[in-house]
Amino acid sequence: MEQLELLMGGFTSALTPINLLWVLIGALLGTAVGVVPGLGSAMAVALLLPVTFSLEPTAAFIMFAGIYFGGLFGDSTSGILLNTPGHSSAIASTFEGHRMAKSGQAAKALATCAIGAFIGGLIATTLVVFFAPTLVKMATVFGPAEYFALAVFAFLAISAVVSESVIRGIAALGIGLALALVGIDGPSGTARFTLGMPQLFDGISVIVITVGLLALGEVFHIASRIHRDPIVSRIETKGRARLNLADFRKALPAWLRGTAFGAPFGLIPAGGAEVPTFLAYGTEKQLAKRRNDPEFGTTGSIRGLAAPEAAANATAGTAMGALLALGLPTSATAAIMLAAFQQYGMQPGPLLFERSGNLVWALLASLFIGLVILVMINIPFASVWAKLLSIPKHYLYAGITVFSMLGVYAVSSSVLDLWLLIGIGLIGFLMRRYNIPLAPVLIAVILGPMAETELRRALAVSEGDLGTLVGSPITATLYAVLAAALVLSAVQHLRHRSGRKV
Amino acid sequence: MSLTQHQADAGAATGPQGKRKPHFGTGRSEFVVVAVLYAAAVFLTIGTVTMNVQGKSAPGPQFFPILVCIVLYLVATLLAIQIIRSPKVPDNSIHPGHGQFSADMLHDLGHLGQEEDEAYDNAPSQTPTKTWKTYSDWRTVGVLLGGVVAFVALLEPLGWIISAASLFWLVAYALGSRRPIFNIGVGLLFSSVIQLAFGAALGLSLPSGFVGVIF
Repeated sequence: MEQLELLMGGFTSALTPINLLWVLIGALLGTAVGVVPGLGSAMAVALLLPVTFSLEPTAAFIMFAGIYFGGLFGDSTSGILLNTPGHSSAIASTFEGHRMAKSGQAAKALATCAIGAFIGGLIATTLVVFFAPTLVKMATVFGPAEYFALAVFAFLAISAVVSESVIRGIAALGIGLALALVGIDGPSGTARFTLGMPQLFDGISVIVITVGLLALGEVFHIASRIHRDPIVSRIETKGRARLNLADFRKALPAWLRGTAFGAPFGLIPAGGAEVPTFLAYGTEKQLAKRRNDPEFGTTGSIRGLAAPEAAANATAGTAMGALLALGLPTSATAAIMLAAFQQYGMQPGPLLFERSGNLVWALLASLFIGLVILVMINIPFASVWAKLLSIPKHYLYAGITVFSMLGVYAVSSSVLDLWLLIGIGLIGFLMRRYNIPLAPVLIAVILGPMAETELRRALAVSEGDLGTLVGSPITATLYAVLAAALVLSAVQHLRHRSGRKV
Repeated sequence: MSLTQHQADAGAATGPQGKRKPHFGTGRSEFVVVAVLYAAAVFLTIGTVTMNVQGKSAPGPQFFPILVCIVLYLVATLLAIQIIRSPKVPDNSIHPGHGQFSADMLHDLGHLGQEEDEAYDNAPSQTPTKTWKTYSDWRTVGVLLGGVVAFVALLEPLGWIISAASLFWLVAYALGSRRPIFNIGVGLLFSSVIQLAFGAALGLSLPSGFVGVIF
């Protein structure tokens, strides 16, 4: 149990007063961006990355740990109270959650979410602590062909298997790969697509791309609709969010089932929490039908809310494990975290545990501390957090616009970056307008350079023989699983299409 | 239906506001995306052909861009074909959803049925009260775009505090704030706090502009 010792070391470096302050700031910020629809942890980390650059890495990552989980604590609040989920990870919790709120149990629903997020995150992070070394050992046998297969798997899983329209998913992927190509090509030293501008030799900063797509694109999108969408009414919550023992007993199995669905999905690049939350919701629905639960679908069942909430945070927890041990981002938020590591000159993956072991274990320890702080600030103050929903939108988005400009300018004090930001913001707006998924762009920008390097390395070693890409059992399995998933999703699309015509 | 963006086919959706005659462009504004994709592909093609290649590694620096170009041309063409064959609903009807996830898949995974779809469709934000010529409010987007362009152009001459405060004011105004005088104060406070917190405390260099020259 070497891990426990290392984790204790992590706790001693994370439990200093100043680092506790950073976790608390992260947790507050994370919950805030989670509660407000349209924001989220990915955007928060992207906006904060440049301004935290003068902090030492451990402090910055401890804060990011708070934000990372915090975004999932508040995300179901707007779904429960307004019936409009602010994040796609909260859609599945909206069905039963809003029913509970309508029947006067809003406070109970918010408490169920907070405890569910805590349990899911806690179990998943514990799993990461115990299995990270195993993952690292697995990753050390990976060669160029395996890493390329992993990248292709992530690209296609996120853009084709889980997205609404395969063409739009791949289009998003193409945009991301194209953005990642700009700059000096590492292996050969060739300047590519820089138009001769030296500012572009380092490529387009990941911060410019993420802030443009997630923050400025969202502001343009809000502007295009704010005078048109009708105002939604909010259900008031009164009193403290609390659960009595009977409710707790009822919800506990659902939290655990949700965690069981969520945890494995953190390792699969399926874009985050959406798939497991819906799986968890579906299971609870079937179970309720079997035991004739009268609450489900009428006054709102606590189980139907508890399971998806736990699933979402369990996914986030194990996604952190996949990120740290394999260097594989499985969701948009994880992709931004990877970008954060790269900003500090670190590359997640097997070597990270050797080279920056202290930081990794401090980060894992602060994930635990962050969860405890989050549950402490969320349960007693759930209705206070809900007040964030009534911040006037014009101030909120004015602030976000100014802050995006600040963040991007802070990267390298370059006005060119700001022009790029506006361009990418417009692309982000177009993508939202035409229902093109954003996650594939982020994954492509982050993993694109890695995919290119590994592909060229593999082909250089084999002297151009394409067979080397599918030669090893690991790559063959990855491609086979990917092909099966693609076929399954094609069948599903076709079946639904014929179903709609009838 | 449901969580989604299954937009009805154009023919069916002319219902409530079916007075204007649909012409070829109706519901096909997504050609903008096709244009962006082709533009990116052409840019990459020109860049790849004219690339000044250094070194002679076996799959060289042009190899991967060629793959990306093929993907972009292919996907742009397929998207164009799809838009021509089945245009989306005309611009002025509401179509929610972000397209991030396959609704069909989520439907199956969640065993969703009629009741969830109805609950979602009854969400208040999706009841159109009035229809407009275009789905997007281009006036507000235009004001906002003008604001950020002016900000970037004026940042270095005017300095952070003034330009950021003006940007804040303009965005708040465009998004519907009705307290213009009060907002000048809010904007100045916001930009000055940022200058103090991030400029002085965290050591970011923000341009001081002509204000800095005077003092």
